[in-house]
Amino acid sequence: MKFLIILMFSSYVFAEDQKVIYQYKKYEKFDLGNLEVKGELIAPGDISVRERDRKRFELDLFSRKEFDSFIKNDVQGLR
Amino acid sequence: MKFIILFLLSLTVNAQSLSEKLESKKYYFTALNEFFLETYNKDITEVTIERLERLLFFTGIELLEDYDQKLLEKYPTSSTRFILGRTYFQKKDFKKALETFSKVHPDHRYFPEAQLLKAQIFSAQKDYEKESETYFSCQKAAEKEESKASGEKIKRYYRMIFEICLVNKARRLFKEGKFRESIDAYDQIPKVSYKWPYVILEKAWAYYHLGDYNRTLGLLTTYKSPLLDSYFFPEAEYLASLTYFRLCLYEDSSIIISQYYQFYRPRFQSLENTLRANIKSQDYFYHMMFSSTKELENQQDFVKQIVTRIKKQTRFSLDFNTIHKVDREMELIKKYESPAAQKEFLSHLESIRENMVNKINFNAKTEIFNFLETVPFFSNELFKLNLEILSKKKDLIYNNKKLVSDRSRGDYSNVQRNRFEYFWKFDGAFWADELGDYSLGLKSNCEIMRKEKEGNQ
Repeated sequence: MKFLIILMFSSYVFAEDQKVIYQYKKYEKFDLGNLEVKGELIAPGDISVRERDRKRFELDLFSRKEFDSFIKNDVQGLR
Repeated sequence: MKFIILFLLSLTVNAQSLSEKLESKKYYFTALNEFFLETYNKDITEVTIERLERLLFFTGIELLEDYDQKLLEKYPTSSTRFILGRTYFQKKDFKKALETFSKVHPDHRYFPEAQLLKAQIFSAQKDYEKESETYFSCQKAAEKEESKASGEKIKRYYRMIFEICLVNKARRLFKEGKFRESIDAYDQIPKVSYKWPYVILEKAWAYYHLGDYNRTLGLLTTYKSPLLDSYFFPEAEYLASLTYFRLCLYEDSSIIISQYYQFYRPRFQSLENTLRANIKSQDYFYHMMFSSTKELENQQDFVKQIVTRIKKQTRFSLDFNTIHKVDREMELIKKYESPAAQKEFLSHLESIRENMVNKINFNAKTEIFNFLETVPFFSNELFKLNLEILSKKKDLIYNNKKLVSDRSRGDYSNVQRNRFEYFWKFDGAFWADELGDYSLGLKSNCEIMRKEKEGNQ
């Protein structure tokens, strides 16, 4: 507990003594024409869709391989 | 009672038995019943067999289906053997069926039909060589009987058997993957045949498997002809849509699908609801067969179309002919016989009539519901096809590609044909001699190209 009180007191004293004032340049000029950036351009220049393969699940579409049911119906249609 | 009737009849006809007296008066159905009562407990002689065949020639064998199997087994005639063989065939007792059919005499009028059923047994037993031989024998026998027949309806019956045997050979070739040969067999069916409208769909499938999609679509166009408007098959709609899909003409395929869903499906549903309400009726479908066009006005077009198709069947013709003959016999008995004789004979004739009405009712009901059952199946297939179309379209978008769609819609150069196949230009009207010979001239749209920017197109 004693240690905690000492720590709080010392930090208060330190803050009072070290008051830092930051000052920025009031005016600065950038010549964009002369500005050179090194690196690789990765951003697309236009909106585009990236080509990629999609997982395909092909449905098994019905394709007639025989007429067995037709043969049965023909016989039934006779009598 | 029988003695009195016998006495009364003997005054006019000098015959030995009641059945013979009835036969001489052309009361064939009544005579047949008496014949069985008189001969069942006696030895069956050559004369008995000949008499039974003679009676069955006039009555037909349709009513024998209601007779006890054991009774029929006692009479070794070709007619009874044919009916018995058919019963065994339906019960899938193929061994007994083959034994019984082989006893049908080759010169008998039911021999061609017996051969047709025998061929199907060989098919079920996977004995394809015998199946083919038997179909050939069926065709020969049917042609022979047709040439002997005098009446138009009987000729048509044998022609129908001939064509079924021929079509079944084509179907066998189709099943074996011999599509070109199957088309050659189908081509032997003349356009005036009752079987021909059904064959169009089968031929269209054969062309589909050969990759001749234009001929497939051309054949299916035939169903749009006013002459064939009673032939509507959901399967034909599906095949047309599938064929457009194979040609990568997705829009055309989608049009058929949406037309099917918007137009046909709700009508099928309402039709099914109406018919299902009468499914237990013993005569609703029978009366529907004889409704006038005006009475059928409230029904969906499909009902009229199915009714027309059923009426063209041999089975309907035979059954209705039996009812007609029974009615005529009842009229004669009412007109010329005593009240005692009427009481004795009419009840039997009434029961034959009722059985035939029930049979027509059952067959019509089965036919209609079998047709309706194809509707949900092909609705489901069309739904799957629609998903495939969407998927293909998505693929193109994802790959930044498009189909070559700026080419001409149709061109004669795209029509495949051999020297026996005709080509008719479609000028907005169907001509009877052109039906079944149409081919579209579409070029496949399946060539994929990279999609350029809008401005460069």
